[in-house]
Amino acid sequence: MLKSKTFVKKTRSGGIMKIVREHYLRDDIWCGSEFCTECKQDESVLQKDACIESNLCVFPHYLLPDTNVVLSQIDILEDPLIKNVIILQTVLQEVRHRSAPIYKRLKDILHDKEKHFYTFTNEHHSDLSYVVETYIEREPGESANDRNDRAIRVSTKWYSDHLKNARTEEGLRIVLLTNDRENKDKSEEAGLLTYRCEEYIKSLIANPELVDRLALTNDDKNDITSSKVLFPEHLPLSRIQSGIKSGTFLQGTFRASRDNYLEATVFVHGEGDESTEVLIQGLQNLNRAVHQDLVAVEMLPQNQWVGPSSVVLQDEGPKDDDVTGDDEEEKLKGAVVGAGPRKPTARVVGIIKRNWRPFCGMLFLSQIKEATRHLFTPADRRIPRIRIETRQASTLAGQRIMVAIDGWPKHSRYPNGHFVRSLGCAGDKETETEVLLLEHDVPHQDFSQAVLSFLPKMPWSITEEDMAVREDLRHLTVCSVDPPGCTDIDDALHCRDLPNGNQEVGVHIADVSHFIRPGNALDQEAASRGTTVYLTGRRIDMVPELLSSNLCSLRCNVERLAFSCIWEINEKAEIIKTRFAKSVINSKASLTYAEAQMRIDDTSMNDDITKSLRGLNRLAKILKRQRIEKGALTLSSPEVRFHIDSETHDPIDLQTKELKDTNSMVEEFMLLANISVAQKIYEEFSECALLRKHPAPPPSNYDILNKAAKSKNLVIHTDSAKALADSLDAARVDNFPYFNTLLRILATRCMMQAVYFCSGMDSDFHHYGLASPIYTHFTSPIRRYSDIIVHRLLAVAIGADSTYPDLMDKHKQSALCNNLNYRHKMAQYAQRASVAFHTQLFFKSRGIMNEEGFILFVRKNAIIILIPKFGLEGTVFFENKNKPSPKLVFNDEATTLTVEGHTFNMFDKVKVTISLDASNIQHQKIRMSLVEPVIPGVSVAPSEPNEPEAKKAKLDH
Amino acid sequence: MATVQVSEAEKVYILHGVRDDLRVDGRGCEDYRHMEIETDVVSNTDGSAKVSLGHTDVLVGVKAEIGKPRPMVPHEGYLEFFVDCSANATPEFEGRGGDELGVELSNTLYKVFNNRSSIDLKSLCISPGEHCWVLYVDVLLLQCDGNLFDAISVAIKAALFNTKIPKVHLSENEEGGKEIELSDDPYDCMRLNVENVPCIVTLCKVGYRHVVDATLQEKACSVASLIISVTHKGTITCVRKVGGGSLDPESIFETTETGKRVGKALHAPLMELLQKEENLGKKRPKVGFLG
Repeated sequence: MLKSKTFVKKTRSGGIMKIVREHYLRDDIWCGSEFCTECKQDESVLQKDACIESNLCVFPHYLLPDTNVVLSQIDILEDPLIKNVIILQTVLQEVRHRSAPIYKRLKDILHDKEKHFYTFTNEHHSDLSYVVETYIEREPGESANDRNDRAIRVSTKWYSDHLKNARTEEGLRIVLLTNDRENKDKSEEAGLLTYRCEEYIKSLIANPELVDRLALTNDDKNDITSSKVLFPEHLPLSRIQSGIKSGTFLQGTFRASRDNYLEATVFVHGEGDESTEVLIQGLQNLNRAVHQDLVAVEMLPQNQWVGPSSVVLQDEGPKDDDVTGDDEEEKLKGAVVGAGPRKPTARVVGIIKRNWRPFCGMLFLSQIKEATRHLFTPADRRIPRIRIETRQASTLAGQRIMVAIDGWPKHSRYPNGHFVRSLGCAGDKETETEVLLLEHDVPHQDFSQAVLSFLPKMPWSITEEDMAVREDLRHLTVCSVDPPGCTDIDDALHCRDLPNGNQEVGVHIADVSHFIRPGNALDQEAASRGTTVYLTGRRIDMVPELLSSNLCSLRCNVERLAFSCIWEINEKAEIIKTRFAKSVINSKASLTYAEAQMRIDDTSMNDDITKSLRGLNRLAKILKRQRIEKGALTLSSPEVRFHIDSETHDPIDLQTKELKDTNSMVEEFMLLANISVAQKIYEEFSECALLRKHPAPPPSNYDILNKAAKSKNLVIHTDSAKALADSLDAARVDNFPYFNTLLRILATRCMMQAVYFCSGMDSDFHHYGLASPIYTHFTSPIRRYSDIIVHRLLAVAIGADSTYPDLMDKHKQSALCNNLNYRHKMAQYAQRASVAFHTQLFFKSRGIMNEEGFILFVRKNAIIILIPKFGLEGTVFFENKNKPSPKLVFNDEATTLTVEGHTFNMFDKVKVTISLDASNIQHQKIRMSLVEPVIPGVSVAPSEPNEPEAKKAKLDH
Repeated sequence: MATVQVSEAEKVYILHGVRDDLRVDGRGCEDYRHMEIETDVVSNTDGSAKVSLGHTDVLVGVKAEIGKPRPMVPHEGYLEFFVDCSANATPEFEGRGGDELGVELSNTLYKVFNNRSSIDLKSLCISPGEHCWVLYVDVLLLQCDGNLFDAISVAIKAALFNTKIPKVHLSENEEGGKEIELSDDPYDCMRLNVENVPCIVTLCKVGYRHVVDATLQEKACSVASLIISVTHKGTITCVRKVGGGSLDPESIFETTETGKRVGKALHAPLMELLQKEENLGKKRPKVGFLG
């Protein structure tokens, strides 16, 4: 049956439009219950045995939550205990409209077979013979919300009546959960069984801990907090919007300061490049904004502007609401005096969009023994403490837990939240890995059923059709060279002599885009993950393992689909001809870098593989030389590898990564392939090619490098990449071989971040580091989504695949690039955090060690030291909280620091003791103290190693 | 306009009939053919009506959009007319065949309807000099069987009666910037007062007399006709002469008197009918284009 839905809407240009949509009602939407005999469903989701033990409902029942219950209590719904829930389409749509993350979580629950959640498409449902419809039209004078509430009631009623026919003796009932009083009254009037969410959850007999996960609703909040108003009221959204339009308010992203909880900056997005930062200072002005919120700010008059304070202030813990405020403000004012130049200062007047997510952290127990309200300290220092209510505080102490914020009333010093889940014991490897994944927003859940359903069926083999459209390269001597233990092999190489004296070199990349088709759930998941994240001892795949480690992995002696880039190259390593083809290959060997190196070096070996490797190696060396002549940079950053104990997975040794010839051999051909592909796709799609650029850094970035070089009487030319590369090569100091590496480490820090972009949205394509006018990523589609897009573009360009609209839409491409850049950045941070954590574990097991290191930077009150052996960086502070500080003289020009008569220069060799500081269990860090040079009162005596026992005892607190 | 070929003998027959107040289809000289009206037939529009008069079939849709008031009259909104002479109506409209007629019709409609005595144009103003409602009145000729003006005018009146303009209000901020805000309730809308909207009566001079609602055959016997727009009070708001022939002043006077009488009599039953239909609300069985 056809109905039409009519509504009026305001268009972006300010016009008013009437929109009419067709709306079909159908009689083949089933109720989903096992009880029902009328509905002809294939599969019933809602169980017969729908018993959750409850004081209120002793009979089997299905829960039917309204929208607000879903939005606020999604954590409860996610609990495995809650089963047999009916989610109405009305609710689903409203949730989707109001909160994308909660919608995603709800969808995940709905997909989970164990949860027995059923979506009832009530908006399209009409009973047989059209007697009862659960679709209702909005009535005159009814608001959209009221209409939806009514729709929920009508559907509840329908369910009650419908299942009444099907069951009698079991006594099954439908329970409507709503926190809206009016809705509750109305539905009770209609004879429906209705409870408030809290009421129902508290009645559950078996699982009292579920109560902790209840989000606080408005009614409850008042009990917790005192009546004194601490913060100014937030302005309503309409006022904010008109204020932003008129220019009285500015809109921006709130960024809390890491070091000072009373300070933040707001990043105001201007037109084009005109983005500015304004300073916010003081609790009142911060006005309950939380890191990453989208806020509206009002500039303060210029005479109230302040400079950013240079002190570190940390919120010291729970205080009564009554006494807060004034004295804290005083503390800040005291600190501000003498601070740097004044900056534009503003105050927060309203929140446009909260960007709350569940936060990881630890519980800070209340001093009162029986108290159920405790403060939670997030791991991220930029997030304020959160007040939660829990009865299991003693169990949760010492654990990493997740907490979600529910709200921040204006008379509460801290936001209110609720416990979501426990991640495990603080300090455990699994727990900490989980924490760093969550804190870096790395999607790491198992792949959903929807995603897995798009995987090829096993056993998989190459079909006749595949062979027909692909080039058969199985006869070639292809081999892969990778780090040891690599299971996701995405590239393989071959090299052979051609009759005309030239050589044919092929780079074969796993054809991931053959398996991941545009737009399906698998593709969307991969696009959202963006990259595989490699942590120490763990890999978070971008695509399911079946693809990453099997079907797409170019392992030896199996037939695999590949995307090949094949060049004809002459003696001087000049490219004569390039072609691309989808192919089938059969790798003859999967080698490690060391194995490949051994084959090349071993003159007695003369098989095809070795010959091929030697040819590649020779060409790679020429290519590398040419590249460096063009001005490509060889930079350095210390990379650390752990030797992991195979049993306990604890790190037993640390070493910096070693580079062999073969590493650079593979790298050289990957670069060549990437550049060839970039040229091809840009030629073909000048508007929508996905490329990668590396902008040249602004000259001011090189200040630190220049100063460092000057201290050794060297000059570094930074006008071009070529000049930089040359002067880095020339910068050598006798008897100090590590100096050059140190300088390169510094140079690396001056660089900009390389980013993906869409060619139609940008004009500067240059890749500074590689000195290439154009570059992209083609060679690792298993672990990078950008490469999948590039594969698709290239496939279209050579006519091997068809295109689809999103691929050709430069705005969508650009949005995708933004996500990829964000994911790559977060993956890098997560990787670093993981290395840092494992370094800590390593030092925890080793106790205190004495090591040699070099000074990397000199700061006002500290020196930063790099230990080459571990690639570890640490800070030696010369100021101490409890002791009087030694006499410090800092010379900004020469970057030297004189401590009690001893002057520290950059690159000085020092000796330090390394130990683990576990005093703050959430933020354990490596502590270094100076051993040599000996400065009385500053340096410490070299400690005896082998005292890990004592250390351990301290850690187990 | 659509024409039919009429033989000399037929002409004489028609002329003689008219002289005796008896027309070929049995009507008197001041009688209309059977008329059917249905409103709210096109859901995409803000107001619509379909009128069939004999075999003449007209569809009118009204769309309200926000525009800028004309500089001379900053306190008023206005109407725009467009007449689409679809080739469905008659083969003569094929290609650009209907354009000329379309322009002629819409020019007349501007004259008749777009003035403050027919419609309260001030009620269409949202903020003086800045925003007003513009009513786009689109006329679609579905079938031509003579007397287009009358059918169109009745359909326009019915469509305007049916028009529901979404309510908007202006919100002002401190800076004086104005923002149009749309009411959240789709039922919250403004209706037009169509009491003074005139109807057009076309009088065709056939022989020495004139007839109301001429068929194509009668039209073929006529050399000139008079278009008169009349309000419910019997006020004549517009008179136009069409056709190549001439009219003597005496007969013009006579004709306008007839027009006044006929037009005045047309309004009351029309309004009654529209009101009745409106009151049926959602229970009204929709006929649409299948009736």
